[in-house]
Amino acid sequence: MLVAATAEFLRRHPPFDRMEAEALQFLGERVKLAYYAKDTAIITPEMGVMQRFYILQRGKVLVRREGEVGAIDYATMTLSAGECFPIGSLTARRASTNVYSALEDVFCYELAVDDYFALMRMSPEFNYFCTQYIASLLGQSRQQLQVEFAQRASEQQTMNSPLSSIIKKQPVCASEQTTIREVIAVMAGGHIGSMIVVDDEERPIGIFTQSDVLKRVVLPGVPLDAPIASVMSPDPHTLPLASSAYDAVLAMASFGIRHVLAVDEGGRLKGVVSERDLFALQRVGLRQIRQEIETAADIEVLAQAAVDVRKLALNMLAQGVGAEQLTQFISALNDTLTRRVIQLNLDRHDLYGIDWAWLSFGSEGRDEQTFSTDQDNGLIFICTDIMDREQTQLRMLEFARDVNDDLDRVGFPLCPGKIMASNPEWCLTLEEWEEKFLNWIRTPEPQALLNASIFFDFRPLYGQFHLAHRLRLTLLRAAQDNRLFLRMMAQNALSVQPPLGRIRDFVTDADPEHPGTIDLKKFGTRLFVDAARVLALAAGVAATNTAQRLRLASAASRAAGEEAASTIEGFNFLQLLRLKRQNFELEQGRAGDNLINPDELNQVERRVLKEAFRQARKLQQRLKLDYQT
Amino acid sequence: MSWLKRIFGGKAEPGVELGDAQRDSLAAWQRSAAADLSRPHYQTRYVVVDVESSGLDMNRDRLIAIGAVAVVDGLIDAHDSFATILRQDEVSTTENILIHGIGGSAQRDGIDPPQALLDFLNYCAKAPLVAYHALFDQTMIERALRRHLGVRLDAEWIDLAWVLPDLFPERIDAQVQLDDWLDLFSIENIQRHNAVSDALATAMLLQAAIARGAARNARTPASFIDIQKSRRWLRRST
Repeated sequence: MLVAATAEFLRRHPPFDRMEAEALQFLGERVKLAYYAKDTAIITPEMGVMQRFYILQRGKVLVRREGEVGAIDYATMTLSAGECFPIGSLTARRASTNVYSALEDVFCYELAVDDYFALMRMSPEFNYFCTQYIASLLGQSRQQLQVEFAQRASEQQTMNSPLSSIIKKQPVCASEQTTIREVIAVMAGGHIGSMIVVDDEERPIGIFTQSDVLKRVVLPGVPLDAPIASVMSPDPHTLPLASSAYDAVLAMASFGIRHVLAVDEGGRLKGVVSERDLFALQRVGLRQIRQEIETAADIEVLAQAAVDVRKLALNMLAQGVGAEQLTQFISALNDTLTRRVIQLNLDRHDLYGIDWAWLSFGSEGRDEQTFSTDQDNGLIFICTDIMDREQTQLRMLEFARDVNDDLDRVGFPLCPGKIMASNPEWCLTLEEWEEKFLNWIRTPEPQALLNASIFFDFRPLYGQFHLAHRLRLTLLRAAQDNRLFLRMMAQNALSVQPPLGRIRDFVTDADPEHPGTIDLKKFGTRLFVDAARVLALAAGVAATNTAQRLRLASAASRAAGEEAASTIEGFNFLQLLRLKRQNFELEQGRAGDNLINPDELNQVERRVLKEAFRQARKLQQRLKLDYQT
Repeated sequence: MSWLKRIFGGKAEPGVELGDAQRDSLAAWQRSAAADLSRPHYQTRYVVVDVESSGLDMNRDRLIAIGAVAVVDGLIDAHDSFATILRQDEVSTTENILIHGIGGSAQRDGIDPPQALLDFLNYCAKAPLVAYHALFDQTMIERALRRHLGVRLDAEWIDLAWVLPDLFPERIDAQVQLDDWLDLFSIENIQRHNAVSDALATAMLLQAAIARGAARNARTPASFIDIQKSRRWLRRST
């Protein structure tokens, strides 16, 4: 009867509510009930390696981080009935870094560590729960993030919550034929900031905001009886309901918009997510930073904004945001910064009559920037008259020099390898770029391959994007057909192996200058980046982002999607470790490097690291098979 | 060999007849080592007991069910619990059934009382026993043991109704009902007046008492017994 009662209690709480009956029975039979008086400690770091798994039956437990100063200092949280702890340290078989104490009279079910592991083996559901938990711990606990938000916004939402959970009200809509007068009346009456215009099937076709009233109606003197369709902004940005708050933030950051419309599978409008809705979800205001950047009058302000971007990114890292979103996010904001620097310089440089585009290469080109990033950029322009070429290039170079210097002042150091737009070698006409690319492909000698690995990941940031698209078409057409080039690229990608040891877990002596460490970029992420580039070029995939390349290339080759997913997970984990490492280094006032000592990782991280390297090896094996190298 | 005589030649009530296995079982219990009441709570096995009976008259009503939950080294293990229903030749009143929910057929289908009690003894071994308003549970069990097995329990009983007010005077400094304490610690009783459920709830109170006692220089079962004695004496002398 008591076992049944225990099981009954557990069944009311996740993850036990979904746990297999047999596993639940196992758990119910093995837990023991313990009592802790108010204000007594349940777990402390001094207790050493954790021996028990705790499920809170009654009362509240306070969790406090001991000593360690993170981005969220001394964060505390409370656990209540049904919650479990301390999963991370227990699974890693180490001491807890947190202090758990009874906030009131507490009764806890306790499970011995051996039974805990037995349960993990027995129950996929429990295993998933625990490993997911660990995954989120790798940044810092997502639950801490939730507590953080709960304190701020008194609502438990995270940047990972789907848009459907953020939307609170029914959207206010108008049809195309509604008059401006009616729309404004409704907006004024309900204190509504924006009105969505939908078609007969409720699909959004436009948006009309308060600020449009002045700019598009009052000033131009549009009659109030005109249909709203004549003054709305057409084609508003939509996202599926299942997208996360992050997707919305990213869309807002990338497109400079204030509202994102959530639509269902049929494209029907389900709600509006505004920046303000997302504000509550983050600490440093994204909008403030963007606004700061977009309206910055000089470089000093931009330099400050760059610091804010870094702070925001650190916060997100601390909040357990995934590496893929985070690096994309940093890239998106750095793009905005770069664009503003370019804009400011355009005031001083006359480029009238020239078609040109600013290109970024390397990690920026791949949307994969980490905290420490130097410049990798170039210029592409059109010169209709060959006689003007020298003159035009000089104008572009002068402009580029100023931009490069300003970017340096903003916080993107000059590229030691001189891969910058102010270098005449990388400030070229479309035809010259095409010629260079084709040469590298035709004659894949070592330097050409090295160049390919930097420049083929280009992405336009400012100016005439179609120039970059044309260059991309040329590249894809030439690369896809050139088997020899692809094979050489593959060989190049295989020249570095993941540092997995035969006897020891990791090879840590690859770099004589830093014994005992692994360079996560050189022996980690780069393996994925290089392999993904070959796969993408071979499959005619235009994307430059590594995760996207892997996804799209695997879709193109009809390979198992699962395989690509775990490859990407491995890549993301390494990126995350790099970000954490750089964060740490920056906090210590040093330039961020990519070196980690695997002995300093906990058991779980070591396990995941090993798995990530195994994924790199798998990816390399696939490349080997494809190209018989 | 007087101890042998004591074991095998114990004076049973007239009419008590045990089978060989039962005799061995009783002997095994009698041989089991007595608990050391001076060891700390966290190295002690307590057995928390609750009984259901045909009524509240300790001299005339019959023992119907025993529920027990052990608190071992401060922990409750759901497995280490005990429940039995003693077979009744005469079913208790409907009114009484409505209290504990053990129906007529359940009473008639119960376990042969000597066997049920032997099972109970072997479950307890010589552990100190704990109950809320222990006198009732103690009397009912002792009477049944004399009648069906012809033995005395001679166990130490700890009555939480006396001990708790002494340990938590800031909460309740008086003799109150079990439910008052349960409310105070917001302990949920799964099924009130089910012997095991009541025993479990009482066991959780014992856990709280142990924790408070350990912090207040009442670290052993013996110290609980002392508390109880002095409280009773105080009560009598005032």
